[in-house]
Amino acid sequence: MPFQAKHDFLVESSHDELSRQNYVQRLRMHILNQIGGGMRAVYDKRVKPQFEKSQGRAPKDEYEVHVAMLSDNYGQVWSTMMRSCQEMVWDSVIPAVERAQPKLNERIRGLNARYGTLTLDPSVKVPRYVSATDIHLMPGNYHTERTADDASQGALYDRGRFVYNGGAAGPYADAIPRTIATYIRRKWPDFKPAQALELGCTIGSSTIPFVDGFPECEVHAADVAAPVVRYGHARAEALGKRVHFHQMNAESLKFADGTFDLVYSIIMFHETSTKAYRNILKECHRVLRPGGLMIHMELPPVGDMDPFEAFYLDWDAYYNNEPYYLKYTHEDIRACVTNAGFGNDKFFQVLIPDLARSPQAFEAVVGGEVIKKTQVARVGESAKWFTYGAWK
Amino acid sequence: MAEPIKIRPVNRGKRPHFFDDPAIDQLFAIVMAMSAELSVLWDRVDTTERLLDQKGTLSRADIEAFRPDEKVHTERTERRNAYIDRIFRIIREERDSLVAHDKMTEYRELMDDLSKN
Repeated sequence: MPFQAKHDFLVESSHDELSRQNYVQRLRMHILNQIGGGMRAVYDKRVKPQFEKSQGRAPKDEYEVHVAMLSDNYGQVWSTMMRSCQEMVWDSVIPAVERAQPKLNERIRGLNARYGTLTLDPSVKVPRYVSATDIHLMPGNYHTERTADDASQGALYDRGRFVYNGGAAGPYADAIPRTIATYIRRKWPDFKPAQALELGCTIGSSTIPFVDGFPECEVHAADVAAPVVRYGHARAEALGKRVHFHQMNAESLKFADGTFDLVYSIIMFHETSTKAYRNILKECHRVLRPGGLMIHMELPPVGDMDPFEAFYLDWDAYYNNEPYYLKYTHEDIRACVTNAGFGNDKFFQVLIPDLARSPQAFEAVVGGEVIKKTQVARVGESAKWFTYGAWK
Repeated sequence: MAEPIKIRPVNRGKRPHFFDDPAIDQLFAIVMAMSAELSVLWDRVDTTERLLDQKGTLSRADIEAFRPDEKVHTERTERRNAYIDRIFRIIREERDSLVAHDKMTEYRELMDDLSKN
């Protein structure tokens, strides 16, 4: 696993903190791969036969699998370790972020931007799907400000997410957006966006690959949470990347109709709500120019998965504070996209192999090969990114 | 300069428990945290040994300033993986037992096969 790429605003962890973070990374990978790797066998050889014996039939859906698996000792052990480890991820980073304050906020406040811009809007109301729960158990979520001009949640997210994914997304934690940006460029070489917008950008690590991928394009990035766009702005400047950050709600964008050639998001929708998902798709349609591209990378729909796979993927919805996750993975995405104004014949979906990890498979998919089966894995475990969208 | 902040959960909600007795979930959390602290201590010893090998003497500041390079990081990652495997052996064995059951059947077949007249 690579080291996280340094930049001027990444918090400095002490000798022991770094050691603890590196341990939690390994522990998380062990729980995911070694212990999690036994879950299917536990289901097939113990839980399912017991269910069949007592009920006279197999579990009919993921909810029955859920109850049965969490009544089994192994399912309980895996679950409690998953939960504890997620808490440990944040705990391992918090002391470094607390210590970095308040100097970090002061430095960000006094930043002399040379490349991009930051536009904050204190009138933006943080929607309930962000304010009501600490998503991924991250203390304070994306939006909490503990002092004036606070960017600490951005700092916490930057380092914490790297510990969480074990560096699997590369030194800049941007494997997915880099894959998607490259896919767009390679798949549609004649598509030359002049203006692009990312929704739910957080700290902009998913924005920069689009700046790199489309050097002629003016790239904007929006998020409702001030701390993450503050930090994202500082991070982008430190890395010398031109991004225009906006504190803005994707459900009610302040941009005029037909402003952008490209509107995208990376793993955002499942952290919103049923209503917001529909509103955001409509906004995507509105701010796109005719001929523009909307593209989103997200969790794969569970529609065609067997009940065990759906249970395994949806576990996070219950125990990792992702309240819309379950509903989202059951949405009819094609219907939602077309209801937002896009033509049914303009809808597409594609499973894209990770550019860095599987370059040959990536090339094959660019060339038109279709991967049928969705690999059962959470983000970070899988190396194939479910992506969908539509042309306007 | 403003006061240092304290980062605490804001809206994490009630902690779920997976065992009938929530104390078992708490015990898991404690054991996992302890396993992390032992690993941290192990790294500190490793840092101390490396610095002593290099310099023959060391100060506390030397230890604090030490950061693993790629080679040391890889060695420590391997050690951590092996360590985790030992600490949580009992869970791996339960996982393996579900496969081992089939292996046992194969083994009996092997016994029968090799014991034929």
